[in-house]
Amino acid sequence: MLALRLLYRDWRGGELRLLALAVVIAVAAVTGVSWLADRVAGATEARAADLLAADHAVEYPEPIPSDWQAQAREQGLKTALTAVFPTVVVTESANRLISAKAVSDRYPLRGTLRVQPELGAAEEIPATIPKPGHAWIESRLFGLLDIEIGESLTLGAKKFTVSAVLSFEPDRGQGFGSLAPRVMLNHADLNATELLGPGSRVRHKLLLAGSQTDVLAYTDALAAEHGNAIEIETPSEQGRGAAEVIDQAKRFLGLAALLTVIVAGVAVLLTVRHYAERQITGVAVMRAMGATRQKVLSLFVGKLLWLALFAGGLGALLGYGLHLAMLALVADLLGTELPAAGWQPLATGWLTAGAALLGFALPTLVRLRDAPPMRVLREDLGSGLLRGGMPLLVAAVVIFALMGWQAGDIRVTLSVFAAVSGTLALLAAVAASVVYGARAWSRHYGQARLLWLTGFTRRPVTAVIQIVAVGVGLMSLFLLAVVRNDLLSAWQAEIPPDAPNQFLINIQSDEVAGVRRTLDDAGVDTTFYPMVRARMTELDREPVNAEDYDSAQARRLARREFNLSWTDTLASDNTIVAGDFWSDVDNPPPQLSVETEFAEEIGVGMGDQLTFTSGGSSVTAEVTSLREVRWESFNVNFFVLASPGTFDALPRTWLTSFYLPEQDTHVLNDLIRAYPSVTPIDVTSVLRIVRTIIDQGSRVVELMALLTLAAGVLVLLAALQITGEQRRFESALLRALGARGARIRAMARLEFWLIGAIAGALAGLAATAAGMVIAEVLFNLDYPFRPLTLVIGAGVGLVTVWAAGGLGARRYYRASPMRLLREG
Amino acid sequence: MAADSASGLEAAKGASKDSSSTGLPILQAQALGMRFAAPEGQISLFENLDFSINAGDSLAILGTSGSGKSTLLGLLAGLDLPSTGTVVMDSHDLNTLNEDERAVLRAGRVGFVFQAFHLLPGLTALENVMLPAELAGDSAARNKAAEALGRVGLSDRLLHYPAQLSGGEQQRVALARAFISEPQILFADEPTGNLDHKTGDQIIDLLFALNRDHNTTLIVVTHDQAVASRCARVRYLRNGVLTAEAG
Repeated sequence: MLALRLLYRDWRGGELRLLALAVVIAVAAVTGVSWLADRVAGATEARAADLLAADHAVEYPEPIPSDWQAQAREQGLKTALTAVFPTVVVTESANRLISAKAVSDRYPLRGTLRVQPELGAAEEIPATIPKPGHAWIESRLFGLLDIEIGESLTLGAKKFTVSAVLSFEPDRGQGFGSLAPRVMLNHADLNATELLGPGSRVRHKLLLAGSQTDVLAYTDALAAEHGNAIEIETPSEQGRGAAEVIDQAKRFLGLAALLTVIVAGVAVLLTVRHYAERQITGVAVMRAMGATRQKVLSLFVGKLLWLALFAGGLGALLGYGLHLAMLALVADLLGTELPAAGWQPLATGWLTAGAALLGFALPTLVRLRDAPPMRVLREDLGSGLLRGGMPLLVAAVVIFALMGWQAGDIRVTLSVFAAVSGTLALLAAVAASVVYGARAWSRHYGQARLLWLTGFTRRPVTAVIQIVAVGVGLMSLFLLAVVRNDLLSAWQAEIPPDAPNQFLINIQSDEVAGVRRTLDDAGVDTTFYPMVRARMTELDREPVNAEDYDSAQARRLARREFNLSWTDTLASDNTIVAGDFWSDVDNPPPQLSVETEFAEEIGVGMGDQLTFTSGGSSVTAEVTSLREVRWESFNVNFFVLASPGTFDALPRTWLTSFYLPEQDTHVLNDLIRAYPSVTPIDVTSVLRIVRTIIDQGSRVVELMALLTLAAGVLVLLAALQITGEQRRFESALLRALGARGARIRAMARLEFWLIGAIAGALAGLAATAAGMVIAEVLFNLDYPFRPLTLVIGAGVGLVTVWAAGGLGARRYYRASPMRLLREG
Repeated sequence: MAADSASGLEAAKGASKDSSSTGLPILQAQALGMRFAAPEGQISLFENLDFSINAGDSLAILGTSGSGKSTLLGLLAGLDLPSTGTVVMDSHDLNTLNEDERAVLRAGRVGFVFQAFHLLPGLTALENVMLPAELAGDSAARNKAAEALGRVGLSDRLLHYPAQLSGGEQQRVALARAFISEPQILFADEPTGNLDHKTGDQIIDLLFALNRDHNTTLIVVTHDQAVASRCARVRYLRNGVLTAEAG
């Protein structure tokens, strides 16, 4: 308790406020991310069974045979059917691409549906599914279709009355595919829509619920009979993909939070050094009075632990608020109810506070126990007590350990640690060359200049630390705010103005001529591509098992049907990188060309035999070439292409893409009315959605960057505190020598301007350089060097440091010279 | 070169004004010497100093600035170890104790008053006085500190910070701090060095009054003859030699 009392006395004396603030900011960053990730991940886990709306689900490319359902019921299982497909809903005044879902009685078997009788009314749990002839639609469709409850809409060949607002369905799914608005109808109406031709993109599911043994017995028997034709989904299967994405996001945000911890750590190192210097005499007095080294150490450890408790708690409180803000920013993407916040992030907060204080502060304070008691008689003793690089070394080890904790992988930890240290070292090197350059230059420029530059050049090490700390904060902010925008613009600029903006899919073979005619009449030139939807069931005659793959993407590819096509000529945006394409061969034998990244993902190489299955038929062919594809051309492209005739045994549909000017959208409306099963995809709106996701996601990261900047400002203030006595003395001396207050303030202002402008310009430069590397390496985009970013950076840095530094240093220049001199 | 023999001090003890003296040496120095490494080689501050002091006695060590009197005080208090010779405090040979063991020996047994006061700036007068008692785990620290400050006439300054107190008041707080743990030996290093003459006199009056009340052994180093003359014995440290004569 003595440690607590001493801590309180230190706090009252203003000794530890910056230190505590640095810990609060670091803890806020870590706990904010922790709470966000925990709640989103918790929602995913808790809803794993709900996500299926069943205990198990059987997916089948064809309508579920009726005897399957009868059999399951005989075995005591509850069953329901669903069918989900993209289509267009048409009303009198509008049409819209939607995701239709037909459900049968008893749906959902797990979880609940929620509807509103009217827009804005309270949610209720419906007793049944939509009655035949009725549809429930998502709230945003009311506006998009300009429709109200009780009015009608058309899906394919059938009219439906809108009878409720669909506010929640358990198995809605997550991610990009589920962004199209939902229309829910009764399974009994499915055939009447006439939307389900052969090869159309429908996911038929048989939902099952019951005791685990019964469900497994049934699904095992079904799997034995139908093998690869069916796909059995389990709750854990549903949760895993989402969990993996969340885990990656958590790791990324966790490492972003660590940047704040590192910068805050620098503030801790600086303030604790200053604090320790002021404690040496006090400790010497205590030791003279009989305190042992052990006692001194336990007092300081005790102080730090109490401080960790308070600052950790306050930081966690701030982190809780931060996570609420981040949740609000991504509310649209989550769109689900989250579990209540748990207590674990609070423990994480205290751990972080403890690690920050024991890792960054204790190595310095530990030395105080060796304060020589003789110092009470001879002030010069013990003045070198705090020298040496051990605290820096310990801090580096603690940072590395924290990174390992967040990344959970030694390779990622090593590369992030190297990247962060490299960036810091580079920033420090450039800052040091500027500061020392200015110092050398000012020496040769006469007395007046020397005076003007004194604050900045007389404390070069402090200046460099301040520049780097503020620079890191500004850099992450610029990277997110400026460079992200530039990258998106550069990407959009690369898309040719006449790049296809409309895709038509699900065109049946007998509709191709008609669709082509309609488009020709409208002056739209198109190419039609055949498309087969099939699953890769064998690789070199061995069954493909999704579980054998590590990455979620590969598992998804191995499990799902995907699109195949055939052609006799290679498109201009495709390049063969291995083997030969068959364009020059007449009537080539069955063979395949595979896109390189896809091949790598699922482990396919030249000479491999791939077997594809669709609608009960299978085709096997050899891979004879690998292709690179320029996806950004926005043309129609496929992972797997076959030579003509290879897929003749499989059911196919057609697709096409074209550019349609905005004023010609009526052409699309006419087409949809004439061919209701054809599904149009508007790329412009897809791009808009992608942009929204990126914007919302990066705003979350921007919050983290703001915290890093706040930590950078703390470093600035900590450095000001350290130099405070020196500034007080300089100011008193200059005043005594006749300098006016305005002149002294102008000198301080110039110092802040220089530090801020250099930090900002460096941050702009580093962010632009990072942007250029990202553009070149990841996106293959031209990203021009923009000097304006440097100018903006310098301006923002100047204002930030001027404001913070001016406030922080004001007191050093305010006191009268008499008082200053008397205080020494 | 022992100019002042143990027997000399023992003899002088007989003339002690302090009737409560027990007659047993509480502090003994034998062949005490201190050397420092300097750029020009080893410098000897003093060598072969011998003396002892009985419980309840008061001794002043007079010397000019730089004569080594503060260093001698530090060695006697166990704050540092001598280059040669031994110090025995309360039957403990300080040379056989490490720094922490010497601290334990000092705790509650030794008090200090410094020229520079050495009050902790972030602590109130009361808290500064409480500190030694708190370090010793005394639960009545607050009451004792308030009482001690009352005795030095600062009852109305309990919650003042050192910066809000005059030099004399700060030294009175330091006196209260020194006496709160009722030490057997009080070491005072130039207690009036930072004070004007009048304030210095008041502090010395207080110091000796407290010394008498607590029956404390007092060792004062000073360059002030007036302060030294209040002690039972006076010794001069000059050119590394301790003598009984002022000459």
